[in-house]
Amino acid sequence: MDDILQINNASVSFGPPSNRTDVLKDLQLNVKENEFVAVIGFSGAGKSTLMNMLSGLQQPSTGEVLFKGQPIKAPGPDLGIMFQNYSLLPWLSVLDNVKLAIHAVEPRISKSDCDEKAHHYVKMVKLDHAFDKKPQELSGGMRQRASLARTLSLDPEVLLLDEPLSALDALTRSELQDQILNIWETDKRTVVMITNDVDEAVLMADRIVPLTMGPAATLAEEFEVNMARPRDRHTLNDHPEFMRLKSEITQFMMGLNKESKNLAADIIPMPKVQPKNFAPPVMAPTFKQNPVSRKGSNNVA
Amino acid sequence: MKLLLQLKYSLLKVIDLSGLTFLAPIVRLCYGEEPKVQLQKIGQWVLVPIVGIIAFLLLWHITSGQIQTKSGTLPNPIETWQGYNAIDTQAVRENEKMQSYELVGEERAAMLADAEARLVGVKTRVTDTNAAVAEAKDAVDSKIKGLIEPLDTKYQALKAEYKVAATARKDQLIADADSLEAGNVAVYNAYLGKVKAAELQTLAEKEELSVLKKEIDKLRDTKASEVAKALRMQTFAAEEEQFLNKQIELLSDRNKAVQVESASGKISEYSTEFVSLAGKDAYNKARSIAKAEQRLVKMEASSYAKPATIWYQVRRSIFCVFTGFLIGTAIAVPIGILCGLNSTFMAAMTPFIAIFKPVSPIVWLPIALIIVSGLIPDPDNNPLMQFLWDLPLIGEYKINPAFIASAVTVALCSLWATLANTALGVASIDKDHMNVARVLKLGFFARLFKIVIPSALPLIFAGLRISLGVGWMVLIAAELLSSSEGIGKFVWDQFNNGASDSLAKMMVVVFLVGIIGLILDRIMIVFQRMVTFDGAVSV
Repeated sequence: MDDILQINNASVSFGPPSNRTDVLKDLQLNVKENEFVAVIGFSGAGKSTLMNMLSGLQQPSTGEVLFKGQPIKAPGPDLGIMFQNYSLLPWLSVLDNVKLAIHAVEPRISKSDCDEKAHHYVKMVKLDHAFDKKPQELSGGMRQRASLARTLSLDPEVLLLDEPLSALDALTRSELQDQILNIWETDKRTVVMITNDVDEAVLMADRIVPLTMGPAATLAEEFEVNMARPRDRHTLNDHPEFMRLKSEITQFMMGLNKESKNLAADIIPMPKVQPKNFAPPVMAPTFKQNPVSRKGSNNVA
Repeated sequence: MKLLLQLKYSLLKVIDLSGLTFLAPIVRLCYGEEPKVQLQKIGQWVLVPIVGIIAFLLLWHITSGQIQTKSGTLPNPIETWQGYNAIDTQAVRENEKMQSYELVGEERAAMLADAEARLVGVKTRVTDTNAAVAEAKDAVDSKIKGLIEPLDTKYQALKAEYKVAATARKDQLIADADSLEAGNVAVYNAYLGKVKAAELQTLAEKEELSVLKKEIDKLRDTKASEVAKALRMQTFAAEEEQFLNKQIELLSDRNKAVQVESASGKISEYSTEFVSLAGKDAYNKARSIAKAEQRLVKMEASSYAKPATIWYQVRRSIFCVFTGFLIGTAIAVPIGILCGLNSTFMAAMTPFIAIFKPVSPIVWLPIALIIVSGLIPDPDNNPLMQFLWDLPLIGEYKINPAFIASAVTVALCSLWATLANTALGVASIDKDHMNVARVLKLGFFARLFKIVIPSALPLIFAGLRISLGVGWMVLIAAELLSSSEGIGKFVWDQFNNGASDSLAKMMVVVFLVGIIGLILDRIMIVFQRMVTFDGAVSV
């Protein structure tokens, strides 16, 4: 059993039998142990549905999802999902949120051990200065980190990150990216991350799997990221492999967008008003125009 | 300085928590923070309401004189305030009487001397006020007599005149009837017309007389304000005299210690006599001793039978509303949680909720009374009642079937708001939080106590706040009907009493009930704020 997570021809559809809409169709994905896989897709493509399916919150309509060769029947702490909207319990402090998770996994843990463990995870995400704050009192990035601490405290075999960074500003985002990578590198485990940011995917993942546009979204051919770790975000912009991957993926995604727009036009007869295409003519040359002379500048991408 | 600043923030926090936001600008002003803004806020949130209250009192004062009720005009604010004083004085006096009954030794003697000294003063006041009343009455009487006299003579004159006229008309008509031509319809009709006219005339005269009579009666009935005032002073004096007499009695002959002393003196007297007696006399004496000893034991355990004072009734009402509220909560919250968790259970409960919710307390109360009285037919010998009466804090309130029925009625009428809000709170729990529970594989009870209830708590408390408000309203009506000692019974007693100040005392209750209701609501707001984790609570 090399693959820890496996999706075999799974589809998810919603609605009554007479009017069923496929959200995800014929998914095929294998994730190896200790691998970092990024799933990239547009908003509304069904990324969160995919994540719910992997975590067991959502059962596939057809096909199967396997964890260590066994079908996933119900969610559990082994498949630690980190929700897109934090989902912290607002009446508990950061520490208590983490403690709740620890207690759930190890009901018989002693009070002091639980305390120590909770502090450990809160410290891991650098939130120890705000451990007794309620989620309401935290900024978005801090809530995201608290959510990460809670997920990590489950000590899951697979970490499922559902757009963990999409709601954050650029600076907080890069900081958290580093933190996640740090945790992943020191404490090896399997990670499936969903994102809509190509840079982020290339920076973090071993493998990038694009999700095509919905409805009936499916996983397209994957991109292997063959770049040595640790990857330096400051020099990354000039890395030939990074540039190649970024342009290829962007092109692929833009192509998907156009395709889906054509497809949508087929399904719903639109009035003659054509939506204006704000997409730049070709994305790829932008990166080639990037002057190489800016090598030394600390330009955070 | 830092401590002072800290005090400011904790004060502001308490004000915010309790929802007494109108105090915040005053605190800020004391710390000299933006005086202009704070003064503006004080004007808006303190001065404007005060002006409103003053305007209300003025309007009340002006209009109350115009409104005639079954017992005089509607009490104005001053009379209502006097009503409050009368209620409070009664409570104070009852407490003093109870104290007097228990006093012993020198304290008793000192108090007795004091009461006797006061009685002397009061006695002169009584005679003074009696004289004043008589004087006022005389003055008013002579004044009214002067007004009535001309009317009365006019009335008597008219009455005699009309009587004579009516007899004359009658005689004339009878005489006319003798000369009627038999068979002549026209003549007969003319005669009938004459008789009709004569009857109408008599009726009109009677009407005129009765109008005059009514005018005289009205004058006779006028209640002069001077007399009313004198009467009130007389009542005050008489009441105080009565109270002092009673107090002196309780301090001397009927004092507990005095009675016990005389009884034990009697017993020792009997005992000395007893040893010198023989035969039937000895038997009788022995019996007397035994009986006297029994009485002594009872006497030592006795206490002054204090009638319920208003403050006792207020406390008992509050205790009763909380009892009912707790019963209601104990029913509503679990059922509400089940309804919220399970839509099938909700479907099963909905018809009952829909049918029972609109039922009036007036219907629940007799049913509750009959059931509770059936369960506790003889409260004096019921072990549960005895147990409740012996409890330290609540024993004072003498829980009886009427109390329990009132509390049950409060519960039945108030639980619906909590039930509906709990069901809503549990049903509308954030799906993400439920997903967290699923990922953490929490069991049913862990899910219930760690996710469901904390998340529904703000709405549950919003429901509890409504329930307590409803319960307080229901309770007054329930007490009124069930004669359970409390504010409602006070109103009922005043209604049946029909004294001159009863209406004023009932008006006092309006404010008393309102203020207590307000305080209960504030307490619930504080609780609601403490459990709310997002956003503010509407006040």
